[in-house]
Amino acid sequence: MDLTITVLVYSSLAAAAAALGAAPLLVRERLPIALIGWSNALAAGLMLGAAYALLLVALEPGSGPGAGGALLGIGFVYWTRAASRTTELELNRLEEMSPDYGYKILLVNTVHSSAEGVAIGAAMAVNLPFGVLVALAIAAHNVPEGTVLCAVLTSRGVRLSDAVGLAVVTNVTQVLLAVVTFAIVVAEPSVLPWALGVAAGALVFLVLFELLPECYRQAGPRSIAMVTIVAMGIVVLLSEQGI
Amino acid sequence: MDTVLLVFAGALLTALATGLGALPFAFVRSVSTRTIAYSNALASGLMLGASFGLVAEGTQFGAVQTILGGMAGVAFILLTERVLRARDIQFGEVHGDGARSMALILIVMTVHSFAEGVAVGVSFGGSMSLALLIVVAIAVHNIPEGIAISAVLRPRGVSVAGCAGWSIASSLPQPIMAVPAFLAVGAFAPLLPYGIGFAAGAMVFMVFEELLPEAYERGRKAGVALLAALTLVGMMVFQQWL
Repeated sequence: MDLTITVLVYSSLAAAAAALGAAPLLVRERLPIALIGWSNALAAGLMLGAAYALLLVALEPGSGPGAGGALLGIGFVYWTRAASRTTELELNRLEEMSPDYGYKILLVNTVHSSAEGVAIGAAMAVNLPFGVLVALAIAAHNVPEGTVLCAVLTSRGVRLSDAVGLAVVTNVTQVLLAVVTFAIVVAEPSVLPWALGVAAGALVFLVLFELLPECYRQAGPRSIAMVTIVAMGIVVLLSEQGI
Repeated sequence: MDTVLLVFAGALLTALATGLGALPFAFVRSVSTRTIAYSNALASGLMLGASFGLVAEGTQFGAVQTILGGMAGVAFILLTERVLRARDIQFGEVHGDGARSMALILIVMTVHSFAEGVAVGVSFGGSMSLALLIVVAIAVHNIPEGIAISAVLRPRGVSVAGCAGWSIASSLPQPIMAVPAFLAVGAFAPLLPYGIGFAAGAMVFMVFEELLPEAYERGRKAGVALLAALTLVGMMVFQQWL
């Protein structure tokens, strides 16, 4: 199989994993708030583990390009949120909010998943096992993220089937950017550390900006810390076995 | 015998360098909630970056051992917190949650210095030709650790000299551990990944359980996230450059 197609398949599977996140909502219409917190923490830990692995590879050839990329990644996410006036937006509100709240959430999730696309594409260009590992971590991370997004959307009167569709669709940018990043990096290998740095910086910032602040309002800091560190440990362990 | 003295002096020098981390806080006076938030964010980024670096080093000796060490580190924090919560501790004039954070970061960073001391000793054990380079590298590397400690102590009312003193004290296990590790590299090297994992696990857990929640509570999340993310990346680059 051509490697570009491999990237397409893995990033699509990772994007589709968001649909699995709807499963808890089939059992209960309204999820306990702590469960949403742990879902966010699980997503955060998997993402930080992936960022750790990406950052190490990005800085390997020399710190300049990797660090430059990381600054770009952090700056990109921050700028998109500031420009769309969503920096102070709380992402997990289940009660009544202004009518445009749902659209803002979808926008934020779309930007969020584009950074993950860069991560998958760049990691695939390092080597296939590393790419599969990062795709796996992102896919596993998309599941609890799908849970949270579906819970927010259904609480606003969106039908569950539509919410699942939207959760997957917000990840389309992930597939797109995975393929584009991979194609660019293969065509011009010298940008690889930049791409890895962008992905790592963006992932770290997303965890600190979007996921963790919500977590601590939803469950106690001890359980959040526990879920996050276990998820991180699993990714670290897998990344050492993989490479 | 001379080399033993040299290892001890080198490790002591690196411990003293930790005190330099208090210097930037000479300009921090006010004990405002916002200062605490951003100092916590700074300490979080430094400790996460340091832990990433430690894990990368530990996994070279053994990934599973590093993770096992990390689990022990988390258990250690849970136990320490239980002990600290059971009594009303006082730190200077601070009581309650603030005093607990202060005590906890000192305990975490002191314990983490044991692992670093072993790492110093083991790396000296290879050869003495790089000794000066290693000493300078670790000394410089210790400065951000002093910054992390001072970032927690200073906004809660500890003087700059006090911050420097506590920072140096937290690094004293380095010379104490470096000498035996240097003399018995064979015995200590297998312990290294466990020790490194322990240090990283304890630091990461403390960041997620104590420092970040407080930072989000007291500061704007955009500022906290930016500061922590940038210091994390900065710390990684800094460690690699050494």
